[in-house]
Amino acid sequence: MNIFKRKKKIIKVPIVTEEERAKPVRCKSCGRLISYAELKKNLKVCPYCGYHFRMTAGERINLIADEDTFSEIDTEVKAVDMLNFKDVVTYKNRIKQAKERTGLDSAAVTGKAKIGGFDAAIGTFAFEFIGGSLGSATGEKITRLIEYAKKRELPLVIVFSSGGERIQEGIYSLMQVAKIIYAIDSFKESGGLFISILTNPTYCGTATIAMAGNVVIAEKGASISISGPRLAKQVAKKNILPKLEQAESLIENGLLDIVVDRHLLKSTIVRLLKYYNRRRI
Amino acid sequence: MKYLLQFERSLEPLYKELEERKKEEKPTIYTEKKIQQELQKIYSNLTPYQVSQIARHPDRPHTTDYINALFTDFLELHGDRKFGDDPAIIAGIGNLRDITITVIGSRRGYTLKDMLSCHYGMIQPEGFRKMARIINLASHTFKSPIVTFIDTPGALVSTNAERKGQIEAISEPILALFKAEVPVIAVVIGEGIGLGALSMSIANKILMLKYSFFSVISAEGGASILYNDKRKSEELSSNLKFTAENLLNNGIIDRVIDEPIGGAQRNRETVIKATGDAIYSELEMLLKENGNKLKENRIERYRKIGIYAD
Repeated sequence: MNIFKRKKKIIKVPIVTEEERAKPVRCKSCGRLISYAELKKNLKVCPYCGYHFRMTAGERINLIADEDTFSEIDTEVKAVDMLNFKDVVTYKNRIKQAKERTGLDSAAVTGKAKIGGFDAAIGTFAFEFIGGSLGSATGEKITRLIEYAKKRELPLVIVFSSGGERIQEGIYSLMQVAKIIYAIDSFKESGGLFISILTNPTYCGTATIAMAGNVVIAEKGASISISGPRLAKQVAKKNILPKLEQAESLIENGLLDIVVDRHLLKSTIVRLLKYYNRRRI
Repeated sequence: MKYLLQFERSLEPLYKELEERKKEEKPTIYTEKKIQQELQKIYSNLTPYQVSQIARHPDRPHTTDYINALFTDFLELHGDRKFGDDPAIIAGIGNLRDITITVIGSRRGYTLKDMLSCHYGMIQPEGFRKMARIINLASHTFKSPIVTFIDTPGALVSTNAERKGQIEAISEPILALFKAEVPVIAVVIGEGIGLGALSMSIANKILMLKYSFFSVISAEGGASILYNDKRKSEELSSNLKFTAENLLNNGIIDRVIDEPIGGAQRNRETVIKATGDAIYSELEMLLKENGNKLKENRIERYRKIGIYAD
């Protein structure tokens, strides 16, 4: 357990190649073409219709944490293939490819940072690493982050962006849900503040974990559901209304605290942290 | 025999012969022996996908059968005190020999009407909240051990369930089971899939019937996600390692309850009795320990699960 040996590490974000950078991006919602530079400047939000594109873990941390304050922990925890799993490609190859593409070792990036001047433990799921799915390594990193926050009495911010449990790890991935849910509960009972941020998409077990937040914030248009669209189609034999699983309708059903535009995300978190730091002990 | 699985089709002529002989009042010992031999041949060499088919066999004993056969003075309790009562979850208190036990299990229903009202065993938000309520009742008030029977295809996926907060409700029984200061035993009697099964399985001892399975996702669901093709489910099921034997080797479960050749669907009484014996013997051991210790053991057990490079 080398939790406390922190190493400063700058996250590489080599997901968009140079060629892609030159090409304009087509908005999935309104269909207009946007230059990549413009999109990036606008925090990956479509300037015409406000559609929120997915962000990588690195971009997410840069968005929320203050500049140059993030230090990663638990970098030694890596995903492995324990079941010799093979679908279209072997799981070993999948991990290798994901690692080459993203420079990450698991679908979570965790660490400590300052947010608006306040110290906080911060973690984010990386959708670019096998759909941000919750495997053993990811589950362990998130659990360790929660324990780290509890030990140091830091507020905890986790950004969710995940397709659910990692099927390639079988039952182990399912058990991570229970492990994290208990860790969060014991963190909350010790008086900690857990701000969970749901982005597009948050499905299955990760959605359940995210709902355990003291304050649950969702980004505009985030798709949040008990099952991904393919599974819903297979199980329920029909498409669940795509509108229903969107953040805007979940807040009407009383499941979320705030639905927020990406531009206001950081300021919302900072406000919450400010109130938390003024608590009377 | 009402229903034969695809890989049991070779038994069909034998069963027909048996019926005819019974009608003509001829001796049937020889035919019965032939059936037994054929069964032995089929059941000694099962693939994981076939095990998952046996686990879903319509003639397998349901939770209600186990409760009726094993527990005396069973009193069913209803409702989640918030919204409604989910028929897919059966909960109550009864006696297993001399021990008073709180029982929670999933119900699938026998008739079509029951099956539809239970959503084929898929659990609704009110079911999860009902479980949490009954678990707290067992832990705080009755101080009785908890036994759960798992036989569910998972949490219900529907617009209505989503509206009632399915994603939030699932964590309630998980937390309640973690915090219960009484012994908890989970028994997988058929299929145990996904978060629905997980929410009932946080236990000190997890037992599984030989031809049952416990998986993160059904083979069909997994195939539709990974391959976008439902027909690949057979291939996927051997990868998921979800049979009782696999899980025992991986240390996820503690004990496999043996089923005779032909499965629980052909030997209902034997399997139900064996399950009762297994639960009783595990409980006798667990009842010697202090409640707080049991809770800590459970937390520690789940904290350790996971394989990663460190």
